[in-house]
Amino acid sequence: MTVDVAARLRAARGGRLRRAQATIVVALRMMLHDKAKLIGTTLGVVFAVVLAAQQLGVLFGLLQKNTMFVDNAGADLWIVPPGTTQTAPGQRMSTALLDQARATPGVAVAAPLLMIGTSVTKPGGGSEATTLVGFDLATGLGGPWNVVAGDVAALRAPDALFFEDAQREKFGGLNLGSVREVGGHKVRVVGFTWGLQPFGPPFSFADIDTVRDLGAVPADQLSFVLIKLAPGADRAAVAADLAARCPTATVIATPTFHATIVSTLLRQQLGITFGTSTAFGLIIGFIIVALSMFSAVLDNLREYGTLKAIGLTSWDLTRMLVVQSIVYALLGSLIGLGLVALMSAGIRGPNLIVIVPRTLVLATPIIMTVLCMLASVLALRRVRRLEPGMVFR
Amino acid sequence: MTLAIDARGVGKVFGAGALAFRALDAVDFQVTPGELVMLVGPSGSGKTTLLSILGCVLTATEGELRLFGERVSGRPERELPVLRRALIGFVFQGHNLIGALSARDNVRLVLESRGTTAHAARAEADALLAAVGLADKRDRLPAELSGGQRQRVAIARALAGSPPLVLADEPTAALDAHAGLEVTELLTRMCRERGTTVVVVTHDNRIFHLADRIVHIEDGRIVDGRLSGVAA
Ligand SMILES: Nc1ncnc2c1ncn2[C@@H]1O[C@H](COP(=O)(O)OP(=O)(O)O)[C@@H](O)[C@H]1O
Ligand SMILES: [Mg+2]
Repeated sequence: MTVDVAARLRAARGGRLRRAQATIVVALRMMLHDKAKLIGTTLGVVFAVVLAAQQLGVLFGLLQKNTMFVDNAGADLWIVPPGTTQTAPGQRMSTALLDQARATPGVAVAAPLLMIGTSVTKPGGGSEATTLVGFDLATGLGGPWNVVAGDVAALRAPDALFFEDAQREKFGGLNLGSVREVGGHKVRVVGFTWGLQPFGPPFSFADIDTVRDLGAVPADQLSFVLIKLAPGADRAAVAADLAARCPTATVIATPTFHATIVSTLLRQQLGITFGTSTAFGLIIGFIIVALSMFSAVLDNLREYGTLKAIGLTSWDLTRMLVVQSIVYALLGSLIGLGLVALMSAGIRGPNLIVIVPRTLVLATPIIMTVLCMLASVLALRRVRRLEPGMVFR
Repeated sequence: MTLAIDARGVGKVFGAGALAFRALDAVDFQVTPGELVMLVGPSGSGKTTLLSILGCVLTATEGELRLFGERVSGRPERELPVLRRALIGFVFQGHNLIGALSARDNVRLVLESRGTTAHAARAEADALLAAVGLADKRDRLPAELSGGQRQRVAIARALAGSPPLVLADEPTAALDAHAGLEVTELLTRMCRERGTTVVVVTHDNRIFHLADRIVHIEDGRIVDGRLSGVAA
């Protein structure tokens, strides 16, 4: 038999695509063959996804509680006391700011907002704290949203208040028409919002003059000024102009205010707590995946050696582990996100909501793929170092 | 005539310094195309080491090796898988089949890793499994086959893609006498039909009669069975 070595070498150098396909199939088959390892590794990913996504979901839920007012007040710009990092009762400013704002070109509406911390006396005695929001009825800026009962116009009556539907029991079984006492004055419930659960005491809403009366707040004080821009006005330019006219206050665009609230919270305990537990979930998942992939390689060392002996390259074997990593990541993400969805549906109560935003859902498989690939490095090193000659031992 | 195997002055030292161990010493080993050579010798004499070097899974520390005229020694490490895919089929002491793959897929893998299309690979795998008498067992996993059957799948795999050289290291070691003889007969017959060059490492004297030539190795040196008429 004559052997055309040159032709055989040429053929052996080609066929990369077929070889790639063949190794991918083998990688998947090997993965499916060892059910215990498959389940173990996938559970590692599921664990990481559930813990991390769950923690981030709760964190996003808490952040949303803190930013919901800014997001729903309807303003383009806010004038706030210097150093403000949240929408809560605090230092008051002068109503003179309103006139200065209204005189600024590009400002269509400047509305006052008054936020006071007070308490509602219940019929059977005792009281519950509330954040009472006094807003300008004429413009509606900073007023209630997600109204499920009653009409905002009913707040014109001097003793009328809106409450949160989820807090009806807390305030002693509120209904439309219920009468309670705030600051020694009788108030009437004329409407309800739904899902407005801030981090602090629940919101109640009233006309700003009603709130002044209930809280004994002087007529020349307000908490914030909410600005609506004229059509076509440039937000940054108007903000700069306002800032120059109101040197004692801070002018801040709504998205910036939102970002300030978020970053302030993240830099505090909240960020550290959730950051730690999220990282913890990822690290535990990483360790489980790394160990089980490594032990799967050790279990099958002879088979990997055989694959090398029959002519697969280190790169072919690398591809096999990468494919396995990706499958583990996708499988684990799918199951994990499913569990997170179930859990957040179960957890969703009046005081704790879990928000898993679409970006987190989309990012999870990507993050997990990166995590699994990094976790496979240990296994990969072993496979790449493997001498094909070991198969004869 | 181009020799199938032409190893000259091949040496192998494992380790270094005080722990250095010389497993092969100036081995000259020549095999003509189509020849079936058995490599015999006591345990630890260097048979596996020599076979590994011939199979391009281990590099010699000295000497020169050519397979079918193609120089192997001195080639970069990354070229060795190409040589293995192009020229060599292996039969191991254990069957070394991939446990997750059926008999057919074990054979197919070798073909597809050499670029054969899925369809052609399937047809050739089935033909090879039929030739080793396992047409009805091709969908079985290795764990579902007997030792002799596994070794026959391993022979089908070694012959997949018709490599010009087949290397077998103690292919009967894990089998009983009867199955061992049967498997070796099968390997010899199929390789003779194809004109394949074969080197079988064994110390099973019940199969010696199947060889064209028997080469003895002791303490890393070839002591008997050199090919006559080859210039040193
Ligand atoms: N990787 C290695 N490192 C060190 N010594 C080795 C290695 N491989 C084989 N040897 C030694 O080389 C000698 C020959 O081994 P081997 O070729 O396996 O012998 P055989 O196959 O004839 O039994 C033995 O003494 C063995 O211990
Ligand atoms: Mg040996």
